[in-house]
Amino acid sequence: MKRLIFSLAFIVGVAAAGTPVFAQQSRGLRVEFQGPGGHSSGAYGRVSALHAAARAVLLIQQALPAGSYQITNLTGGNSVNSIASDGLIELKLTAANAAAYQKLVAAVTKAAAEGADAENKFRGVKAGDLTAGAPATVRSVVKPF
Amino acid sequence: MTRPLLPVATFVLISVVALDGQAGPPQAGTPATIPPSVATAAEKIANDPQILTLLKEQSTDAAATARWNQFLELVRIPSPSRQEHLKAAEIHRRLVDEWGFARSEVMTRADGIIEASDTNIVDGLPVYNACVVIKGSYSGRADAQHYKGQFPKVLVEGHIDVVNPEELPKTGDPSIRIKLQPYAQPVVATPEELAAIPDELSFDARGRIVENDKYAMASKVFANAKEAEAGGGVRIYVPGYGDMMPSTSNAFVLAAAMKKHNIKPVYDIWICGTAGEEGKGNLAGMKQLYGFDQKAGTGSNPLNFVANFGLEGGGTVNFLGSYRFEMKFKAPLPRGGGKGPSAPEAMAAAIAKIADVKTPSELRDGAPRTTYTVGRASCEPPPAGGTVVPSCSLEVDMRSPRKETLDEIRNNIEPMFQAGASAENARYGRKDGSPEGITLELMWYGLRPAFVADSVDNVAVHAGLQSGIQLGVLTSPMVGTGSGSLNDNVPANTGIPTYQFTLASSAAGAGGHAFWEWGTRGAPATEVARMHRVLTAALIVSGFHAADGTVVPPTIGPIGKRTREVVR
Repeated sequence: MKRLIFSLAFIVGVAAAGTPVFAQQSRGLRVEFQGPGGHSSGAYGRVSALHAAARAVLLIQQALPAGSYQITNLTGGNSVNSIASDGLIELKLTAANAAAYQKLVAAVTKAAAEGADAENKFRGVKAGDLTAGAPATVRSVVKPF
Repeated sequence: MTRPLLPVATFVLISVVALDGQAGPPQAGTPATIPPSVATAAEKIANDPQILTLLKEQSTDAAATARWNQFLELVRIPSPSRQEHLKAAEIHRRLVDEWGFARSEVMTRADGIIEASDTNIVDGLPVYNACVVIKGSYSGRADAQHYKGQFPKVLVEGHIDVVNPEELPKTGDPSIRIKLQPYAQPVVATPEELAAIPDELSFDARGRIVENDKYAMASKVFANAKEAEAGGGVRIYVPGYGDMMPSTSNAFVLAAAMKKHNIKPVYDIWICGTAGEEGKGNLAGMKQLYGFDQKAGTGSNPLNFVANFGLEGGGTVNFLGSYRFEMKFKAPLPRGGGKGPSAPEAMAAAIAKIADVKTPSELRDGAPRTTYTVGRASCEPPPAGGTVVPSCSLEVDMRSPRKETLDEIRNNIEPMFQAGASAENARYGRKDGSPEGITLELMWYGLRPAFVADSVDNVAVHAGLQSGIQLGVLTSPMVGTGSGSLNDNVPANTGIPTYQFTLASSAAGAGGHAFWEWGTRGAPATEVARMHRVLTAALIVSGFHAADGTVVPPTIGPIGKRTREVVR
């Protein structure tokens, strides 16, 4: 988990770097979720990366001011009869300046992590747990695009 | 093609009818009552010199290598549900060019048509089954009976579709790269980690495996994961390793061997690789074979199958039912540049609500195991220059072995589609159903009909169990009391006796339906033993011309059951 937090912090830093400080900022952000996935029935009880992504969207709604973001994509999973191993939120953030933009990115990053945490908690798994040898939790990462 | 929401109600009624009238399931530990004639037939067939010669040949190192290579060569051909034509085409080609069949013995076509079926289009798409016949003697009898021109048949089937990849690639070589990873390394955590594995199998331009050092690494045989770990085994990552290409590939090995050794049944035996078992496949392959009308919940059995043997394992007589929905959340047209309800946020609201559902079996001790998931979601991209997503769709799967609990989970989840839309509309003060709000549309409805047997006794179960007893893999005629969710759901609901076993042999495996699906090669001798059992069981039901000139008669009459009449 520590490594993930450092990674996210680094990404947020990179996202903010190279943007003019006082100009209005409007940029895209990808929020990726990764979980173990599996058979919808045989592996029932595993976390879903798509469920986590949806949970994160609702947290983004709560955390970001109206008009500061627009979700342009929500996708994940590979078939109706599988637990989704991947989830993706794409959104466009709009802020008055680089500092405000950085705050939005931080809020999205927090919401993504909390969405993943909520899914992990609902299914009773924690970092370090394995399912059939694979990481049992859903993890999030935020990337600018 | 889209449909209005109204048909949901119709489907509810239909599915209730389809699931109705089910008696209590057989009690745990209920033994089947196997007639003595079945035991006699099993002994005769299992020890027949023709059968033993076939098995002796399959027991050679050369045959084991051929089976292994065939599996590797077939499993790398991507075969998403309803896009199985590449794999079906390769099976069709090999049936004629390499496996010894005449073109007239291949019962399926590249265009997905089986002429005698009345159900060649399922969910608006062709059905890419791959089937071959082992001709029996029955149709040549003067007194042979048939159903509208179709003489009796026994079906042995396994599916050829696989969950991953989700779609066939639009360009380039579609073949899947088969990665090899030592057990000492952890199971991959991401698709990127999988792609970064350096060791992989190689294939030549004709799609044949290259028997190099990597092949040698992958081809080591182990009894189980512990031995593989200790003995230098590798995880072989490829979709379909566990579900279920080893078994289906070996079905065609068995077909070719039956042809080569002139194994002669009384009734025809069809050996099929079926389409549409996974994802939104909706059991399309089986619906074509059994003429199953999913709206009416009835099967015409147009080809006149009298018994079914599935190769996905299980040994069950009860089959999980499932309801599946694809729902589209449509955004209102943008007006005046102002913000409005968002399709992805409406869908997210619905998924988040569904994600918190607890199933009957999670809520109550003793309730049948019931499951659900939002398996897939996607959104239309905003138009060029815009940011408003026109629509998003989600796909939900719900399963339970009993009608009551299946309906309970459905009644819990189905309102959440609208609740998600309503929540998003409410954020903007929009009324549900108004042109300014998110609207909901049913895109697709999937029904995998449940089946709860009222008896453990039928010819397929008898043959399946007795073949196991005869060959020493079973000690009693006990039927598994669990429930499967298999191709068998269709024949069971059409009244056709069905039983399952497998032709696969894997030392270990995991990750089914996920990007990290893997397996490790198991003992070839196990495959041969399983061929022996499948062959024995199928021939018990179909009847068999033994090497000594006697005939083991079929254990079932020549007219298969059906729940509606064929329309053709």
